[in-house]
Amino acid sequence: MKDAFIKSNFWIGLLAFSVAFPIFVVGSSWLLPGSELWSHFAQTLLPELVTSTFILLVGVGVGVSILGTVLAYLVVMVEFPGRSWLEWALFLPFGIPAYVLAFVYLGVFDYSGYAQVWLREYLGIPGFDIRSGHWAIILTFILVFYPYVYMMARASFKRQKIQMIEAGKMLGAKPIRVFWKISVPLARPAIAAGLLVTLMETLADFGVVSLFNYSTFTTAIYSAWGDFRSIEVAAQLASLLVLVSFFLIYFERKARGKAKYYSSDVSHLKAYYAKGLVGWIIFFFVFGVFMLSFAMPLLQILIWSSEVFSIEWSKRYFNYFSSSGILTFLATALTVTVATILALPSRRKSNSKTLQILIRFSTLGYALPGSVMAVGLLYGVQNISSISIYFGGSSINHILFGSVVLLLFAYVSRFLAIAYNSSSASSEQIKPVYEHSARLLGASRWRLIKEVYFPMMLPGILAGGLLVAVDVMKELPATYLLRPFGWDTLAIRVFELSSEGLYERAAIPALMMVIFGAIIMLLFNKLDSEKY
Amino acid sequence: MLRVNNLKISFDDNHVLDGFNLQLESGDIFALLGDSGSGKSSALRFIAGLENAQLGSVALDGNNLSDGGSHSVKPELREVGMVFQDYALFPHMTVFQNISFGISHLSKKEKITKVQSLLDLISLEGIEKKYPHQLSGGEQQRVSLARSLATSPKLLLLDEPFSSLDKSNRDQLVREVRDILKKAGVTSILVTHDEAEANTFADKIGKIEKKQLLIS
Amino acid sequence: MNSKHSLALSLIVSTLTMGSITQIQAATGDVTVYSSRKEHLIKPLFEQFTKQTGIEVNYLTGSGGDLIERLKLEGNNTPADIFMTVDAGDLWYAGTQDIFQPVITETIKSNIPSYLRDPNGLWTGLSVRARTIVYSTDRVNESDLSTYGDLASSKWNKKLCLRTSKKIYTKSLVASIIHNRGVDEASKIIDGWVNNLAAVPNAKDSHVMDAILAGQCDVGLVNTYYFGHLIEKNPDAPLKLFWANQDTSGVHVNVSGAGITKNASNPSGATQLLEWLSSAEAQAIYGSLNKEYPANQNIDSDDIVSSWGDFKQDRMNLSITGELQADAVKLMQRLGYK
Repeated sequence: MKDAFIKSNFWIGLLAFSVAFPIFVVGSSWLLPGSELWSHFAQTLLPELVTSTFILLVGVGVGVSILGTVLAYLVVMVEFPGRSWLEWALFLPFGIPAYVLAFVYLGVFDYSGYAQVWLREYLGIPGFDIRSGHWAIILTFILVFYPYVYMMARASFKRQKIQMIEAGKMLGAKPIRVFWKISVPLARPAIAAGLLVTLMETLADFGVVSLFNYSTFTTAIYSAWGDFRSIEVAAQLASLLVLVSFFLIYFERKARGKAKYYSSDVSHLKAYYAKGLVGWIIFFFVFGVFMLSFAMPLLQILIWSSEVFSIEWSKRYFNYFSSSGILTFLATALTVTVATILALPSRRKSNSKTLQILIRFSTLGYALPGSVMAVGLLYGVQNISSISIYFGGSSINHILFGSVVLLLFAYVSRFLAIAYNSSSASSEQIKPVYEHSARLLGASRWRLIKEVYFPMMLPGILAGGLLVAVDVMKELPATYLLRPFGWDTLAIRVFELSSEGLYERAAIPALMMVIFGAIIMLLFNKLDSEKY
Repeated sequence: MLRVNNLKISFDDNHVLDGFNLQLESGDIFALLGDSGSGKSSALRFIAGLENAQLGSVALDGNNLSDGGSHSVKPELREVGMVFQDYALFPHMTVFQNISFGISHLSKKEKITKVQSLLDLISLEGIEKKYPHQLSGGEQQRVSLARSLATSPKLLLLDEPFSSLDKSNRDQLVREVRDILKKAGVTSILVTHDEAEANTFADKIGKIEKKQLLIS
Repeated sequence: MNSKHSLALSLIVSTLTMGSITQIQAATGDVTVYSSRKEHLIKPLFEQFTKQTGIEVNYLTGSGGDLIERLKLEGNNTPADIFMTVDAGDLWYAGTQDIFQPVITETIKSNIPSYLRDPNGLWTGLSVRARTIVYSTDRVNESDLSTYGDLASSKWNKKLCLRTSKKIYTKSLVASIIHNRGVDEASKIIDGWVNNLAAVPNAKDSHVMDAILAGQCDVGLVNTYYFGHLIEKNPDAPLKLFWANQDTSGVHVNVSGAGITKNASNPSGATQLLEWLSSAEAQAIYGSLNKEYPANQNIDSDDIVSSWGDFKQDRMNLSITGELQADAVKLMQRLGYK
């Protein structure tokens, strides 16, 4: 019995270690000799970017927590006009890459954008540079990333609905009081999980910050690499990002505290009714968020697409689409499988501290900018080859470089965090008593996993899979660097065209990505609602 | 038929049980009383093989299940059933799937017959296709009982199965469950802190005092 | 459950084999190019080449720095015969990383002038990109404009828009200023630029021109082909190019170019492609595709491009740009040019 646990711990540990491999490679950059680049950065970039990264994280963190939670509460607990379609429509912004949204916002709201032109011409308001200061980029990130918190908080509110309403009735409380006193405290772990993902995405973002020309940690990472060709310093800086994420995860764990187990009761009770004016105010608020984060950018993309459709459209788009599709499918399946194995509830009690830390490490890749992750992986493979040659073997570079395997590996390492957070959140809701009763009923370990744990974790696994799928579809830097010949994706096409200023043409692959994202969303929505 | 010898359980150097002995004969319905934290649930979980102890052995029908505090036979092979305080019905399975979970080796037909006879026993015919959340607390606990009985365990352990129910439903259910167990002839141990409940339910009652079991 | 598993498994297996098959194909007879010049700008060229010679061209696009790393790590096993990129700095750096072989032939030498080629024959420029001043014809007198350095004078206070210092074109321009004027003068110029900025430096050249059109600023610096794209769409835009430094060093030019990799498996095919790319026919395609200037001085520019008039180019050898790029970045970061 004990031996079996130790044995399986070993394999789980090895799995976690493999996933964390690029992070160890990046971390090992500290073993290399120091660089004079550090003192240059310390005098020039670092003071500003530490402050601005901090301001950005705080602003975005507070913003997405509030917006995501309020939206989730409204669609789950309050009945208002348009609720049922807005509930799923609010997921749609997921399908639009952050840099495309940022691009559209700049086009509309910056000095030369039509919103400002209109304000100047009709209202006489002087023009202003929305890229200076912090608020515009913070708002952009909030609109891009609120779905993370919305999604997790919504699931949590749904689970707790029955308890909340019963407790609320006992107190005779008003909706707002129930929100503050009962809903939010109960949903805290879910909100924290969504927040964590948002902050890690914000830390690793390069597209949005470069469009706004805003300085964050990634600015220094790309400068070390792009300007000074120093992969060591880039990796050292990137490993600091990993460290920051480590602390973020630590705080998230603390925030979860002891509120671990929930009832899995499903409610059939009715929501609060918001009638008349209040209902319409709520509608316009939620609808406004939907407009700003999805409908308006989509409209812009559609206008652009229609202008150049005949020039840009060709049969090759089927290739881009299928490359994106196959990569997304495979990477999601792999990531979700690994995440499920690592998050199985029976790991909890028997886990050694080392294994816990190793699993944590395996999820840190999310904070690494994609290209650093990719180069880390290339260097890792190179080192393995060197060792292999040293012992009389042969290089494995030519097998792995430019093959799908390495790219899939990069996806798993980069996106495991999202899948793991989601499946472990659902695994933590499985009380030990389920394991006990299953075993006393004679179930083997395999049956326990297959028939009890897996179905009970399924909502979390699916939610994680949804997020991973959309993220893989949007992923650019690692795909750009590691893909084999002929595996150009939609994201690559968007990037190549837009970086040459051909936004109208770039809108066509962007539109396909939005459609792709919507398909993924619908698929998971169907799977998700089938059983529960 | 059940023998628990010299059981010693402690948490963080704080002994809760020391020198605990228990013997039951076939068909006995026994109630184990004790205050919260007295170690009564731990004793039960030790018998089930879910927890280790510092010292002690369990034998069922002459087979040694645990020795020297650690278990030698895995819980899934002990032929011991257990009913938990919060029912522990699998929320994603129907009543039929829940009850037949422990008898997956039987044919479909045999399963149907068995589940029907068990539902008959707990007087809840026709709810095979319902999900646990569609049932009341008392109904869930009866289904949970049926699920444990499906495997025909040699010993049934009931860990405060009535404490989540409200008072009005409880007394009736206590009597009902007792009758069901009598009818099925299963040796059972009920853990509770409610003396009245113990009196209604059991043939024999024991109480944990000073880390040991006193049979009254 | 099982059929799902086997479906996933067969998908994985087939994908992996597909991946390795394309890998093998790339290694035979054809020419393989790693390019940081974007796909839509190289594909028509390669298709024309294949039509004429029957030699297939495989290509993989990526960012310049990434592809150099990939080439280094792939070593002997690299499928790439040619590395093509869009900045002299990248070409120079690739040259220092020992990934090229010197195979610049007589044909190329006669087609492309020497200042657009590596002194050691490791790479050659294939198209010329001029970076110069763009201004609002509504608010600026042409006579007020003269040099890059003049944009630092206080008369342009809050009237200047620039592209970010992170972009390689900015880095190369500043490197050329350091070369032509010395570090002290260059510092003063950059400092003046930063003080004159009307807005946070823009992410793209097109944004610089949008800002001028909207009245946020009056002058800016852009690569001419971005101006060409804009004029093509909007011929009446009140914007014009001004050729900078005509009385001094000339307009700063950069190249997109290519070299043959050290471990090329098909060097003769690669040479053939490179020679063809320097020919008049290919050079004309370069111009019409992207409004760049031909590197081959024997042919005329695209119509729109030649309408901007002739100008004096800065003839410093472009390798120097590469060498000075790191200094240029340090200077800009010290002076707060974002």
